[in-house]
Amino acid sequence: MQTHQQPQEHAFEFTGSGWEFFKIWIVNLLLSILTLGIYSAWAKVRRLQYFYRNTRLADASFEYHGLPMSILKGRLIAFGLLLVYYAAAAISPVLVIIVLLLIAAVMPWLIVRSLRFKLHNSSYRGLRFSFAGSDAAAYTVFLLFPFLTILTLLGLAPFTHQRIKQYQHSNGQFGDTYFNFDASVGSFYGIYLRLLGMVVGLAILAGVLTVLGLPLMLMLLPVAYLFIAGYYAVRLPNLIWNGTGLGEHTFYSRLEIKPYVWIFFTNMLGIILTLGLFVPFAQIRMMRYKIENMGLMAQGDLAEFVAGQSQDANATGEETAEMFDLDISL
Amino acid sequence: MLTARYFDGKTTAARAVELSLEGQEWVLRGDDLELRYPFVQVQISERLGNTPRLLTFSDGGQCEVTDHAVLDQMLHAAGVRRSWVDGMQHSLGWALIASLAIVAVLIASYVYLLPWSASVIAKRVPDAVLQKMGNSTLDTLDKFMLQPSKLDAVRQQALVDAYAKLQPLADSNMSYHIVFRSSPRMGPNAFALPDGTIVMLDELVALTENDDEIVAVLAHERGHIEQRHAMRMVLQSSAVGLMMTWYMGDVSTLLATVPAVILQASYSRDMERESDEYAERTLQLNSLSPCLLATALEKLEAAHLSRNEKLKTTKDDAQDVARDYLSSHPATPERIRQMCPERP
Repeated sequence: MQTHQQPQEHAFEFTGSGWEFFKIWIVNLLLSILTLGIYSAWAKVRRLQYFYRNTRLADASFEYHGLPMSILKGRLIAFGLLLVYYAAAAISPVLVIIVLLLIAAVMPWLIVRSLRFKLHNSSYRGLRFSFAGSDAAAYTVFLLFPFLTILTLLGLAPFTHQRIKQYQHSNGQFGDTYFNFDASVGSFYGIYLRLLGMVVGLAILAGVLTVLGLPLMLMLLPVAYLFIAGYYAVRLPNLIWNGTGLGEHTFYSRLEIKPYVWIFFTNMLGIILTLGLFVPFAQIRMMRYKIENMGLMAQGDLAEFVAGQSQDANATGEETAEMFDLDISL
Repeated sequence: MLTARYFDGKTTAARAVELSLEGQEWVLRGDDLELRYPFVQVQISERLGNTPRLLTFSDGGQCEVTDHAVLDQMLHAAGVRRSWVDGMQHSLGWALIASLAIVAVLIASYVYLLPWSASVIAKRVPDAVLQKMGNSTLDTLDKFMLQPSKLDAVRQQALVDAYAKLQPLADSNMSYHIVFRSSPRMGPNAFALPDGTIVMLDELVALTENDDEIVAVLAHERGHIEQRHAMRMVLQSSAVGLMMTWYMGDVSTLLATVPAVILQASYSRDMERESDEYAERTLQLNSLSPCLLATALEKLEAAHLSRNEKLKTTKDDAQDVARDYLSSHPATPERIRQMCPERP
């Protein structure tokens, strides 16, 4: 039985190195280009493996098991869907609407497959993760709520976001242990309303500066924008992970705006100045910051998780979702 | 001897073991533990930098190995060869070669592959699409750049008739019509939209002395249309745009670029030459001298040069427009010699 002792803090560690990843990235990029994108499935597996294996918790690393062939199959299907969309767009706008409706109708189903594939192919200490979310709930969360959100002119956006994260996180499993999620709808509204306040404030400030004829001051606006974007990119993961638990253990995330904005900005500069060669270094830097500011407050021993039933998952869902820019990160 | 951490796949408990290869078997030895697995049934994860490697066994158990040197030695002794990708991924030399190769491939595709595939695809684009592109481009131009023509209806009709009399080359399968507009900002100009519409500016009509010169310019523009140059430019730059946005990760900006491409419509030298040749043949077919186009081109260049001079002092944003025209219609003297060798 569980004895209630002082929780033990385990910070995630990230051991990836920019140069090491650069060598892997550039060779795989070349092979992907030479094979007209086919090899990118292998490149993707290596990238994920590199990130997973370099992420360590309590002195053990994660592993990614996705097979390039299943990812390639998924990509081909996704590519086919994309062609259907473009063909429809070339023929008539009515057809586009029909195709988009069809895509919207299968999207929740695809997202569930994608979440299953991703979690099923992740492991830690020899135990797989898995996803148990139902299709019915997915249609509520990924189709009904977004639809209502549009009807309410985005008034329900924070609610929908909370429900999506709740669906994703509370249906995750590690072995036979469920993840749980208790970040409230109110706290999502808190972040979104502050964000709205900042954007409105910035717009008013921009207006006042223009009226006062201080065009130089307008140069400050991109900086302000960067910080507002940073606020969103930092506070939300904090809220989400601080509300996520695994069995009796709880996660924490302590990202801060200033270092995040600094890394984001310098990464962008680096990528532009090197015409893209900095991309792998940028990914490593950002990943290190995000991962090393997360951790697990463990109640007792991390060696006590037990395997659950494993289920099959193929890659189609994830790849299709990614092609349509809807990849959902967990 | 290789030390590793063993997980049985049923719990997260880790056990320290020693791994060895005995004959055709991997053998794991730890406290009160001895397991044997046939060598060929054990999956060994690929080497990736300094990351831990996994040996996965048929029963779901696995060993995490961080002592890469020893594992490599054992695999080598067992006759397992590294894959060529493995070698490349861990070599600074190959990283350098790959970087240079990527640059070379990108340049080669931009210079050769892109124009070639754009021309192949452009020929197969359905007329409905060309129609839609032509309409929306004209709408955009009308909104931002063009004003209604000040030519009277009789003059317009005369030009339309003159153009209608121009016999097309045999392989023509497009419907053509002219629309009249004026644009002090763009100066004397005419341009072809993908659907076969030619936009003729008042400023060009005013510049030329006789209608045959205008017909010559129209024949040149028809060359652009017939060879689907606008469509090719759109395809080329949207392919580049697609690559860029895919790389930078934003697809939404892609669609916005299409009108901008047609607006700039700076055809390549090759495209201009193709259109010149097309115009030349059309003019000859109609018993008109190719020198007409040469004259018109000369006047156009002179007009734009003098506009440019004036604009330098006025600092109008139209300066960019004028400069664009010149950069997109390069080396006029050379083109004139091509078309009209009998001229001095």
